[in-house]
Amino acid sequence: MEEVDRILIHSLRQAGTDIDEDVQSVKQFTSELIVEAVVRCLRVIDPGLGSGVSTTLPPGMSARFRLGMSLAQACQDLGYKGEIGYQTFLYSNEPEIRSLLMFLVEKLPRESAEASDQPAGKSALLQKAIAAQIKAQLALPWLPPSCRLPLHCKTQSPGPCHSFRAQPLSLPYSLKAPSKKQAKEVKEYWRVHLLPVTSQPSQHASVPASLLENHVSELSAAQEWENEWNSQGLLSRLTPEDYRSRKRARLQKRIEEQLRTAAQPRPDTHGATRSTSDLTELLNSFGGTATGGDILTKGTRFTHSEKFTFTQEPEKAAQQMAAAASALPSSHQSEEDLKAKQEAELSDLQQQLQQLSVQMEEVGGDIRQLTVSIHQVSDELKQRELSNSEKQDTVKVKKQTIDLLPDAENNLVKLQSLVEGSAKRVVHLASQWEKHRAPLIDEHRRLKELCSNREMESSMKLSEIKDLHDKIRHSAEEAKKKESLYKQLITEYETLPKDVSRSAYTMRILEIVSNIKKQKEEITKILSDTKELQKEINGLTGKLDRTFAVTDELVFKDAKKDESVRKSYKYLAALHENCTQLIQTIEDTGTIMREIRDLEEQIETENGKKTVSNLEKILEDYKAIRQENSALAAKIRDG
Amino acid sequence: MTSASADSTEESGPESIMIKLLEKLSPTECPKLLHRFVDGLCGRSYPRRVEYSEVWSLIEWGELMNSLTQLFRVAVGRMSSDQQVQELLGDLDSAHADAILQCLHARQEEIRQALVDRTNGMSSTQLQDFNWQIKLALSSDKLSSLNTPLLNLSLDLKENGIQRAVNMEMNKEELHTLISALEAANKVVLQLK
Repeated sequence: MEEVDRILIHSLRQAGTDIDEDVQSVKQFTSELIVEAVVRCLRVIDPGLGSGVSTTLPPGMSARFRLGMSLAQACQDLGYKGEIGYQTFLYSNEPEIRSLLMFLVEKLPRESAEASDQPAGKSALLQKAIAAQIKAQLALPWLPPSCRLPLHCKTQSPGPCHSFRAQPLSLPYSLKAPSKKQAKEVKEYWRVHLLPVTSQPSQHASVPASLLENHVSELSAAQEWENEWNSQGLLSRLTPEDYRSRKRARLQKRIEEQLRTAAQPRPDTHGATRSTSDLTELLNSFGGTATGGDILTKGTRFTHSEKFTFTQEPEKAAQQMAAAASALPSSHQSEEDLKAKQEAELSDLQQQLQQLSVQMEEVGGDIRQLTVSIHQVSDELKQRELSNSEKQDTVKVKKQTIDLLPDAENNLVKLQSLVEGSAKRVVHLASQWEKHRAPLIDEHRRLKELCSNREMESSMKLSEIKDLHDKIRHSAEEAKKKESLYKQLITEYETLPKDVSRSAYTMRILEIVSNIKKQKEEITKILSDTKELQKEINGLTGKLDRTFAVTDELVFKDAKKDESVRKSYKYLAALHENCTQLIQTIEDTGTIMREIRDLEEQIETENGKKTVSNLEKILEDYKAIRQENSALAAKIRDG
Repeated sequence: MTSASADSTEESGPESIMIKLLEKLSPTECPKLLHRFVDGLCGRSYPRRVEYSEVWSLIEWGELMNSLTQLFRVAVGRMSSDQQVQELLGDLDSAHADAILQCLHARQEEIRQALVDRTNGMSSTQLQDFNWQIKLALSSDKLSSLNTPLLNLSLDLKENGIQRAVNMEMNKEELHTLISALEAANKVVLQLK
């Protein structure tokens, strides 16, 4: 019973009951403690049931009675089968209380066991981690900066002071560069001149940043490409290289268009002319198939390559600056003269400019008109030429017929024969054509079918590939999730208190089970012994009866003849009767002994119920109630 | 077109003379310098003048660096053939010219990437780097339990060639606004593709 009581008390403490350290068994529970334990359990099991009752016994007797009644009702609502009433709480006896508490403890929800199956919320984990970290940091004493060990530097220094600056790195294995065979020079460079990655950036602090940046850019590029390839590339049924080159061509065309529309000459603003001239230059170099030498003489500083790596050379700006600088007057005249001169020059130039722009506009208008008229004239010319050639054809036909007219008959016959011949030829050709056509059409149909089959197959395979991709992604995600769950559980398991009580309990249970087994064996042994004894007894009784019957018969026969034998017969009968009585008496003794034992047990249980003290208590309570009643009655009378 | 004529005279003139300065260095030392120089061109550190102070004076060094920059940019940007590069080099002696060609071949892709990056960054302000820190404000002077995540975003901008750092702190809603704006911009870029 001790073990059970300890478990019970432990569980009750967990449920929130305040049990003193020196309370070791249920026998020591007072009424107050019982009420508190039951109410706490009820509150944990069902907050609705237990919230209405207080955890302490009220002083008034009738209030106590009511509390007991409501507690008993609540326990019955939970499904307690045993006898229960207010007396269970107020006038407790040990076995009843123990069974009630056991019932309640079993009903306690095992939330901790269920909760650990689910991964805890991320925020909860974070909070926990933060709390742990802060606690650890608070536990460390503050040290002046010069005394800090590396351990302290991490938590007590004001954080990293260098900023996150990335620099491009040069790595032999890169996704950006195609992974095909590298040239000999490149390998030479890698082998001899390439610095280790840690010494490549100019500041040592930016090594991690640069590495991270490099990795991230490659990763995102690879991801983007994969996404695009999966969504659009696969459907286009091209090889990756073809797809890339096609996309490049498309982009090139698009940019060209954009630039062309932007470079449309707009004569309204003066500043625009400069930029547009630049742009037209750019366009010339851009769309042109000009050789490198051409570009050099042209002096446009824009170059173009397959991927628009046109770079603006810095010297272009420098040249423009120089040109602007040379335009400035370099003479050292007095400032006013200079200013006047400059202004005169400026106005002059402006006038010139205006004139020129007006002229330009006029000339532009003329040019536009002229181009329109040129278009019109060239259209007319084309039409004329067409009609001319038609007329020439008709003239030719007419000339031929006129030539044939003199010998009309013969020519007619000739013509007819020619027509017939050609008609026959046409028929012949048509039949031949048919002959050729039929198999060709069949072939065509067959090929078409084949083609459509192939297409279906390929689309099926495409969808399969897509499915597979999806599946792969899903399983990867799942695996990741499972892994994190596993890790979390492992850490949780490690942080769990290595409680020995659990193993002790299991050991104890196993012991008890083995004890029970032993007892069972003994019981069966005793039972079989009893059965054997019963059998022996039965056998002996039967033997006795039979022996007595035979002896009785033999002696009875002889008793008729002989007087002494008659006497012995009488003795025999008496002996038999006495023996039966003796057996009867022994059996009676056995039953009485058993009854005595039962009664003793009953006495013991009754003693356990603390009847006397309970009775005393009941008497006291009865008196208290009577007093309360009389007090109430007196109040009524007074009132 | 005055600039055109100026270009063509300069093209084969002073540049190749400056390149000739390279001959002061022995051909065996040359590849190392060139590779370090290309490193600088690609955004890392240039070779240090102190190491070569015995070979070139300060002015010579500056001119050599300038002309090398020119040379590599022109050669890679125009995808010049070996012959064209030779023309650019003028009458540089063959060992040094070989070294330059070797280096050019080895680093072509890298220089091209650097030039593409340069072209990409042609607007007045560009983002060079960014860094972020996430902070969890556990409590404030008014509330004992705040639990508000805050993002500290620092941007390294290059504004007309000048480095400038921009720091800002955002809460969740502001971050969402920023991210949605960036996503909208990305969508526009994707549509261009």
